[in-house]
Amino acid sequence: MKTHSVIIFLALSALLASCSTEKKDMTAPEIVSAGEETSPLNCAEYHPGDIIQFVWAFSDDVELGSFNVEIHSNHDHHTHSTEAEDCPEHHHDEGEEEGELWIFNEDYPIPSGQTYYKTNIPIAVPANAAHGEYHFMIRVTDAAGWQQLRSLAINIGE
Amino acid sequence: MIAEIAVAMAALLLSEAKDTTETLGPAKVFGESVKRELMHLSLGSVEVGHNFIENNFSGTLMQSLSAIPGVQARTIGSGQSKPAIRGLGFNRIAVVVDGIKHEGQQWGDDHGLEIDQFAIDRVEVIKGPGALMYGSDAIGGVLGIYTNYLPVEPFEGRVNIFGRTNNLSAGLSARLQGRNDHFYWRLHLTGTDYADYKVPIDEIEYYSYRIPLKDGTLRNTAGREADAALTLGYVGDSFRNDFKVSETWSKSGFFANAHGLEVRLSGINYDASRRDIDLPWQSVNHLAVHNHSHYHASGFTLDADVAWQWNHRQERSEPVSHGYMPTPPDDLERVFSKYTLTGKLGSKVELSAGNQLQAGLDAEFQHNRRGGWGFIIPDFETVSGGVFVIDRHKFLEALSVNAGIRYDHVYTSVHSYSDWFTTPDDTGTPVYKQRSGDIRRHFDSFSWSAGITWSPGKWVVKANIGNSFRVPIAKELGADGVNYHIFRYEKGSPDLSPEESYEVDMGINWVGERLTLRLDPYFNWFPNYIYLSPGSTYYEGLQMYTYTQAQVLRTGFEAQAVWKILSFLELEAGAEYLFARQMSGAKKGYTLPFCPPWKADIALKYTFLEDGYVSLGTRIAGVQREIVPPEKPTEGWFILNLSAGKSFTLKNTVLKTGLQVENLLNRRYFDHTSYYRLIGVPEPGINASLMLGLEF
Repeated sequence: MKTHSVIIFLALSALLASCSTEKKDMTAPEIVSAGEETSPLNCAEYHPGDIIQFVWAFSDDVELGSFNVEIHSNHDHHTHSTEAEDCPEHHHDEGEEEGELWIFNEDYPIPSGQTYYKTNIPIAVPANAAHGEYHFMIRVTDAAGWQQLRSLAINIGE
Repeated sequence: MIAEIAVAMAALLLSEAKDTTETLGPAKVFGESVKRELMHLSLGSVEVGHNFIENNFSGTLMQSLSAIPGVQARTIGSGQSKPAIRGLGFNRIAVVVDGIKHEGQQWGDDHGLEIDQFAIDRVEVIKGPGALMYGSDAIGGVLGIYTNYLPVEPFEGRVNIFGRTNNLSAGLSARLQGRNDHFYWRLHLTGTDYADYKVPIDEIEYYSYRIPLKDGTLRNTAGREADAALTLGYVGDSFRNDFKVSETWSKSGFFANAHGLEVRLSGINYDASRRDIDLPWQSVNHLAVHNHSHYHASGFTLDADVAWQWNHRQERSEPVSHGYMPTPPDDLERVFSKYTLTGKLGSKVELSAGNQLQAGLDAEFQHNRRGGWGFIIPDFETVSGGVFVIDRHKFLEALSVNAGIRYDHVYTSVHSYSDWFTTPDDTGTPVYKQRSGDIRRHFDSFSWSAGITWSPGKWVVKANIGNSFRVPIAKELGADGVNYHIFRYEKGSPDLSPEESYEVDMGINWVGERLTLRLDPYFNWFPNYIYLSPGSTYYEGLQMYTYTQAQVLRTGFEAQAVWKILSFLELEAGAEYLFARQMSGAKKGYTLPFCPPWKADIALKYTFLEDGYVSLGTRIAGVQREIVPPEKPTEGWFILNLSAGKSFTLKNTVLKTGLQVENLLNRRYFDHTSYYRLIGVPEPGINASLMLGLEF
């Protein structure tokens, strides 16, 4: 009984060792520049009524999943750990709370089987959007369920 | 194995009357008593007494118990941690208090066990499936907690005061009890207050936000706890009865920067005080009433239990609008209210010399209601019943076998829930979106187990094979909403089948005069493990997680050695290793979440003047690269811990002192099994705890 169990146990352990070499996606997708057309860039300036052309690229070593764009106000000047530092040319006036704080949140699919995908989506800034600094959050998943985030600062000016 | 557990449990219940001494933890008496204890279970089990818990006094009960190889604490801040055995936690292990399954909202990530750790006399950890005795949930192991010490004097008691430096906690615990001939009483009272805790880091990064920490404190992790329990009992020659009422209450803040979707807009000055509890916070209540009766005659015992438990948990946070949800009217984000009624009947009969038959039946009713503006888990009722038979046969003093079977039926009724606000549908029409449908499910489960214990000479060898089951919980069937604690959308699957587990366990022990060695390997197979799989789609910017089922293989071992080098010097070493692999489904090839890395504990203990001791130990953990989205690999680490204690006899009283210093070198490290690991919060820095106890 004892020796048998030990043998079975060792055999199963060997089986494990052999199947643990199986390939799996262990890396998150990346949010990368789409070259010269890349937009919005960090610290970009827009105005109410403008169109923000969202042109960025995603890449993954196996397969991309889907992405999301979320825009929220940064009137409290919180910071993100990617490049969303305070942009020097943005001055935070007291009067910038006028108008309606703009909230944008959309999910987008990526066709299956892609390891690289370039976006080209027009996003309209509402005519009544409050002026001030906003964060432009980009989220992307890969097919395995890993996620990558990137946070950009944009300014809605006069 | 489960049969052995059952028999052992029954033996423990039987031996309560003479159970007036407490076991000493890993530093056990050598020789025959060790062998006897090993023999009583063919499954890996470890029993510790309250001395062990005091000597390893470590903030939460589970952190104290994590000194046992194979036991992990999933910490959530300083005041909370969840138990895990061999990497399985939440609803995959049963916490059993005095024979009754302890009901909390086990599925919740962010609250600990609703148990007063100072009221505990003894803990038995069973490392392996325990469904035969406890039904669903015991699939990964059993944490058996006993508070049923029987007083011997007309009046006796113990008062403890304790403090910790890291979170500036202070507490007082009293136990008063007495026995007058056939009648006895017992009273436990405990109160604790703690401040925000400190970590050796200046800022953390969470969900792309950069969060600076003032003086390394995790803002708003302060809390307080108050517990009370009263037991009245009768002890006769062949009949015993005890009646217990207990209440545990706690209020604790959530780490302010990692809760809710719009925390950044808060106007609360969290850094104003380390002791205050601001929004968001939770309060947790657990009220229990339990009656236990025991009758024994020659070759026959009968035990009957009736218990009622009520869990009431609230989460409060600043009301903020999100997506289509307008700003809620108040701060009552979630209310969970669940009561559980349990009845148990068990009997043991000596059929012949060396052959014992045990049989039992139990029934349980659960009723859960929700409230508040945030939805995560629907209303439900569950009715379950089980019946089991176990036979144990002793061929020789050194050889015994056991086998048992169990049948369960569970009925779950999940209620539908629709949002209290409207969301535009595909055509743009505003609708009250349904989050959970009406789900009615019946589950049948059959479990079995067989084991052998053999002790030739100084060896004790154990082997077990068996299966266990777990019925899907309401969250797994009907969840459909945003988990604000972790920025994700969780979706249940109404068609899940009961989770099954097959496990082979072995125990190889060598018990010498000065040295004991122990190796507990196991091999475990789940044909349909229920797993919350992160997907590749979004819902309003939140990654969608769905409950699915997959084949899962787990294997590993725990090893332990105790070497009494000299009469006053002892070396203890323990190690654990676990390998887990999903063998099918969306995450085929990946491990399971929170898979603990290999871990080793080595401690040198110097004993002086009978009961005085100083112990210096190190805990080492390996790197964990076996991860699954959204986890991150965790580097290996080591820390140094120091503990010392001594008792002083003063007339009729005993003064006990205990000092423990954890993370002596104030090292910054991440524990892969900590809930806060996911948000980049390291483990606490140096932390000294002092406990003074007066026994009379």
